[in-house]
Amino acid sequence: MTWAELSLTFIKIVIVVVFLLIMAALSVWADRRQGALIQDRVGPMRAVVYLHHAIVRALIAAPAFLIAGAISIPFWHQSPGVEQARITTGLEIAVLVGWFSLLLLSSHVRRRGSDNGFEAMVAQADPRAYFYGGLVLHVAVLPLARLVPTSWYAAGGIQWGPGLSGAIAAMVIMFCGLYASSKVPDGKVGIRIAGLFQPVADAIKMIWKEELRPDNADRFLYALAPFLGLFPVLITIAVVPFGSTVCFRDANHDGGLGFGELFGLQNIVEQSGQCAAGHLPVHLQVVDLNVGLLYIFAIAGTGVIGAAIAGWASDNKFALLGGLRATSQMVSYEVALGLSIVPILMIVGSVDVRTLVDWQGNNAWGIFAQPAAFVLFSVAAIAETKRIPFDLPEGESEIVAGYLLEYSAMRFGLFFLGEYAEFGFSAVLLVTLFLGGYHVPFLYGDGIHVAFGSTAVFDLTMSHLAVTVIHIMAFFGKVLFLTFLMVFIRWTLPRFRYDQLMSLGWKKLLPLALANILLTGIVILMIDGGGEGAASALKLIADITQALIALGGLVALVAAVTWLLEPAHRKRLVHSSAARYAAAVGDVKASDLQA
Amino acid sequence: MTNQAGKNTDDLSSTAETPWTKPPVRITRGTPVYRADRTPQVQIYLNEWMKGTAVTMRHFFRNAKERFLGQKRDPVLEDFEGGVTTIEYPEEKRPYPERYRGLHRLTIRDDGSPRCVACLCCSTACPAQCIHIEPGEYDEDDPRHGYERYPEVFVIDELRCIFCGFCVEACPCDAIRMDTGMHPTAYDSRSQFIYDRELLIEFGGRDGARQTHNPRHEPGDPTYPGLSRDEH
Repeated sequence: MTWAELSLTFIKIVIVVVFLLIMAALSVWADRRQGALIQDRVGPMRAVVYLHHAIVRALIAAPAFLIAGAISIPFWHQSPGVEQARITTGLEIAVLVGWFSLLLLSSHVRRRGSDNGFEAMVAQADPRAYFYGGLVLHVAVLPLARLVPTSWYAAGGIQWGPGLSGAIAAMVIMFCGLYASSKVPDGKVGIRIAGLFQPVADAIKMIWKEELRPDNADRFLYALAPFLGLFPVLITIAVVPFGSTVCFRDANHDGGLGFGELFGLQNIVEQSGQCAAGHLPVHLQVVDLNVGLLYIFAIAGTGVIGAAIAGWASDNKFALLGGLRATSQMVSYEVALGLSIVPILMIVGSVDVRTLVDWQGNNAWGIFAQPAAFVLFSVAAIAETKRIPFDLPEGESEIVAGYLLEYSAMRFGLFFLGEYAEFGFSAVLLVTLFLGGYHVPFLYGDGIHVAFGSTAVFDLTMSHLAVTVIHIMAFFGKVLFLTFLMVFIRWTLPRFRYDQLMSLGWKKLLPLALANILLTGIVILMIDGGGEGAASALKLIADITQALIALGGLVALVAAVTWLLEPAHRKRLVHSSAARYAAAVGDVKASDLQA
Repeated sequence: MTNQAGKNTDDLSSTAETPWTKPPVRITRGTPVYRADRTPQVQIYLNEWMKGTAVTMRHFFRNAKERFLGQKRDPVLEDFEGGVTTIEYPEEKRPYPERYRGLHRLTIRDDGSPRCVACLCCSTACPAQCIHIEPGEYDEDDPRHGYERYPEVFVIDELRCIFCGFCVEACPCDAIRMDTGMHPTAYDSRSQFIYDRELLIEFGGRDGARQTHNPRHEPGDPTYPGLSRDEH
């Protein structure tokens, strides 16, 4: 292993650990804020950072400039074969940023009034018009880049076409960033970002709080337990791939990766994502273990030790009971959790996590291949993370705070962090095993290929860099989205009784998982006996499921934006003197003199 | 003396039955508790879970949309609409009714001096005795000399004030009003609650005006009645 590879590994470790910690903070925020909005409350959002307006402007403009720079540089990189894709990508980015910014500006101006003629002109159109117009442009750009012959934009041996479209995208991004930063008012600007600083404020508070330790607590184990709760989650994510394989050109042919070679990415990889000869593959995954899934379950199973030791070491009967409850619950559901994914392993025939993910990308996502396993696994995963409706280790009316009872300050904070990191990790596992990991429908190593069975519908060659970036963004995006959905479960379901929890685990999930294994075995045998016909039919069905995901995602996106931009219709009632006064003034936005 | 079953133990001891045995258990007959039928559809739980999630999602998306797209419900005018009902106080304020009696203000004349003629009607009417006025006489050559006085000192202790509005009713000159719509701020010390003449003049009404619409009849105006204290 060369120094370059070592530093890459270090960067990958930092990425996954920081991602998990950010996920923990984000899900704490989502849990509180989302829960409040579900219950028609505002929720915690008072944490605020006051910054000088110049700093805020810089904070808005700087990322725009950075992104613009990062986008425009690869476009000038000479790469034969993907010019059209690059022109398309650049224009698509410009269109995306353009309609999104115009939409924001239009709705902002319509709410707050315009500062200049340009804004007044923008606000004349409904925000929805910009969205629909953007969609039309997105589609229109696709054939546009193909109509222009290659010779036009490759004059004089320099391909200025891709560079130009990249420059257009960069300029649009920079202009939008600058305009947005110019809208920041003078003076002290309070930044709240929908209350995202609240978990940070909580952590700061917890660090400064007094640590209380029971007199007779086991000092060593008491201090150790919070770390035992957090540690397994942080190391299990090591085997989860968060992106496809990156191929670096082996410039000096020594078979090892040097620092100089880090900037030489392969131009276009094969459809399967395999690196060409003379290239060095780097997996976007901290370790590529061939027993990856077994490793995950082995290490995740030790998470129970933290809870058990915390309960034991606290010298408190309630804490001990809570620790026992947590232990028996996690051990019980570990069984159902492990058995529910066996059908997937039977289908794919591997426990290597990257193989599992790639199988889903080339065939159908796990949720379509094994819907029953998906349901069983997600139920068991929620129980494993000890969240509502399975939060039996804690219970105010029965055992107070369970094994957390005697913990205070940042030791409690560590447990909290560990619990939410575990929550984030269960979302990561669900995405990896059932939602295709980093894969996006129809996006392969060398670009987009829409095909049903053997009938090709659409092809677009894309560079290795673009595909890799999309894969990484898809993985993290899916995890965020799934976490967001999983928070709803917490606010929807009432908690179970302890005996119900046990009977659900042992009497329902376990037999169902076993039956699913049996059924899957029979189906696999039948398909194997079916020969070529069955295989090709399955492939067609798999492609249709991919199309369903792509189409469903697009339709859901359009429907969501359309609904979001729809103005709210409300009935106004002037039924009190205060309301009469407010109506006369025009709104209830307070003047300085109004109390 | 009564035992747990509510029977009089004195009666029991007089009968042949021994009082030391447990009284017979009474079976309570009431309506049975409703239990849902355990059909497979109920038992599978997913159906109800979907329904519940639909409810929570509806609330969340509606509230999130209204909140982050600036479509929040008006807490007064759209009182009966659903959604988040919180008024986030320092940023948003519920308007007080039109006739809300807020902090006092002293109205001014066209030249900027207070309309108050230091007649002491308000401080006399004040049940809390929170108004202190020291009247001053105009100079000899001032046309208002002998016609009216002015307040050299006009102090209201807003901690003592009970906001009854008697001072406003007592004022013959429309010089003191309680239409600022403000309530006293939370201060650090008691002395800060004692509002002096300059501060009271500074306040405006809800429309921001520091004058009133009622006319004043200054010496020189055609409506001036021409009366003076010295002549009559």
